Amino acid sequence: MHIARYLLHRFAFILPQLLGIVLVSFLLVKSIPGDPAVLMLGPTATPDAIASLRAQMGLDQPLYMQFVLYVNHLLHGDLGTSWQTTRPVLDDLIQRFPATLELVTFSLILAIAVGMGLGVASALNPKGWVGRLADIYGLSAGAMPDFWFALVLIFVFYTLAHWAPAPLGRLDIEVIAPAPVTGFMTIDTLLGGDMHAFRSAVSHLILPVLTLGLINAGPIMKMTQSSMQKMLASDAGRYEMLCGIPQRLVSRHALRNALPSIVTIISVLYGYLIGGAVLVEIVFSWGGAGQYAVQGVLNSDIYPVLGFVLFSAVFSLIVYIVVDLIYVLIDPRISH
Amino acid sequence: MRAGVSTAIGATKPMGTVLPAMSADLLRVENMRVVFPTAIGRSRTVLHGIDLSVKSGEILGLVGESGAGKTTLARSILGAPPVPGRIATGRVMFEGRDILTLPEKQLRSLRGRRLAMVVPNPRGELNPTIAIGDQIATMARVHLGLDRKGARARALEMLKAVQIPDPERRMKSYPHELSGGMAQRAVIAIALICDPAFVISDDATSGLDVTVQAQILDLLRKLAAEHGSAMLFITRDVGITAHFCDRVAVLYDGEIMEAASRNALFLSPAHPYTLLLLAAFSHNSALRRGWSMTPPAPAPAAVEACIYAGRCPLAQPLCRREKPPLAELMPGHVVRCHFPVRR
Repeated sequence: MHIARYLLHRFAFILPQLLGIVLVSFLLVKSIPGDPAVLMLGPTATPDAIASLRAQMGLDQPLYMQFVLYVNHLLHGDLGTSWQTTRPVLDDLIQRFPATLELVTFSLILAIAVGMGLGVASALNPKGWVGRLADIYGLSAGAMPDFWFALVLIFVFYTLAHWAPAPLGRLDIEVIAPAPVTGFMTIDTLLGGDMHAFRSAVSHLILPVLTLGLINAGPIMKMTQSSMQKMLASDAGRYEMLCGIPQRLVSRHALRNALPSIVTIISVLYGYLIGGAVLVEIVFSWGGAGQYAVQGVLNSDIYPVLGFVLFSAVFSLIVYIVVDLIYVLIDPRISH
Repeated sequence: MRAGVSTAIGATKPMGTVLPAMSADLLRVENMRVVFPTAIGRSRTVLHGIDLSVKSGEILGLVGESGAGKTTLARSILGAPPVPGRIATGRVMFEGRDILTLPEKQLRSLRGRRLAMVVPNPRGELNPTIAIGDQIATMARVHLGLDRKGARARALEMLKAVQIPDPERRMKSYPHELSGGMAQRAVIAIALICDPAFVISDDATSGLDVTVQAQILDLLRKLAAEHGSAMLFITRDVGITAHFCDRVAVLYDGEIMEAASRNALFLSPAHPYTLLLLAAFSHNSALRRGWSMTPPAPAPAAVEACIYAGRCPLAQPLCRREKPPLAELMPGHVVRCHFPVRR
């Protein structure tokens, strides 16, 4: 009952939130120097040609008019056209966003498994070898750049060992891509019943997922470790100990009480990685949304950039709503 | 009544008469010394060799001001002094063995089962994400081996026994949904569900309204009697012990200053500190005027001095030189003072 009303309330605020995000990112993107008309027409273009193209693209209009026009198009489902791909941005993103999402989702699952596992183990045994391993792991995961780690993995597992496929996209070249349903290559190949393509998709996922998963397990581990230690040392944890509750049960309760902070860091990482995975996407030629947006920024192609911002904003807002619902489930103190 | 409280430190001649090894004691703390590490390589002694004993069914009151070491003593008896404290010496004899030498696992199965604790500020001590009924039932499942259903039924019984209104509904309540008094009742239910032989009540009624305090005390005494539990009742409020305890011990800065039966302690207190405590709570204005608190002075210089000499209105040169032993004044009445007050 309450939850339904709460959700309605939250969804009502999504539109104004998005409008604010679009406004800010529009102004920021517009403030990047560079004229798309000049870039599109090349170095030999005449001033007349540039002026007419600018007029055609609406670039001669005042800034607020350009914004109003853009929002008007947005409301009709038109995210503009990328002059680089010459395709509608919406089509490009529908194709590329799931690629990033698949990479990030599997990476995050690995990061949660490694981070929480190591975090819990080290919180229970901070002075033992697990605790020391966790300390070293937290330091190196925080210190290592993901693209460099990706290159090391490629060198070891592709160049030397030949265990992994070439870091060139999401499938082997000779494999025919499945019909896009979800955009997740693993799921679409399974839906199509093509086990050969599925294996190819999985093998291409392994190295980038290892890269992002192992790097981002660091913060999850740190948060798990510290909040769980805090809960074990809390009044409640100590009281359970004084009541003779077995350590296993005390630990389980501590983890449960530590969950809200762990869920928070996971949700923040999820939203961040949509754009933050871009270097790894580039290293593996992933063809994801982040790579697409960076190309847009470098070439004054503003609509892909804005479209990407919009997509990740919607995604983050959804993640945060889901997380708020999870809070209600795991913490009885939040009941409104 | 026999003297149950003594100390080994500095006791020369009166020692033999003070602490006879009694087999009737349910729980006996011997020479409990707890130290807290401070700076590197240094430490502070919080309990200076406490001896006390409690017989079956007896309620021993332990009075002391904040920082006297009451909570440290309570936790140390359960083998878990507050972090980073460490039990340097001491034995806790319970049911024929020193429980501090037991392996952790056996100690855990004693805690909550045979030796239970009622904590202060229960809303902070109860697990915030588990319903009260489940927290009480967990005790029965862990210690009594009951199944889920049986444990819940037993928990409900306990909630009724501690007189929580609407117990069926309160089973599903979370700690933050309870009032302080209700949470205190829940903690008592947790402490008593396994019929412990010994209950430590650590400042259990602080932070409650006076009327609720009285209800909780009545309840605690009634249930302890019903369950046949002995109790160590720790409090800052010397007035409570007058109504509640069979014997009372006064703790000051980690040492027992005086211990006697309730009547002896309240009718003929012998230690200046006890007198000051009683005067502070007294309605007798002559007593209050005669025994008003002196301002705290720096700690006595000599290590061997009486720890109370610095604040004692009756201190003599001897008190600053030599530490008094806990000596028997009357049978069952011990006092740590060179110049006990006689009236």
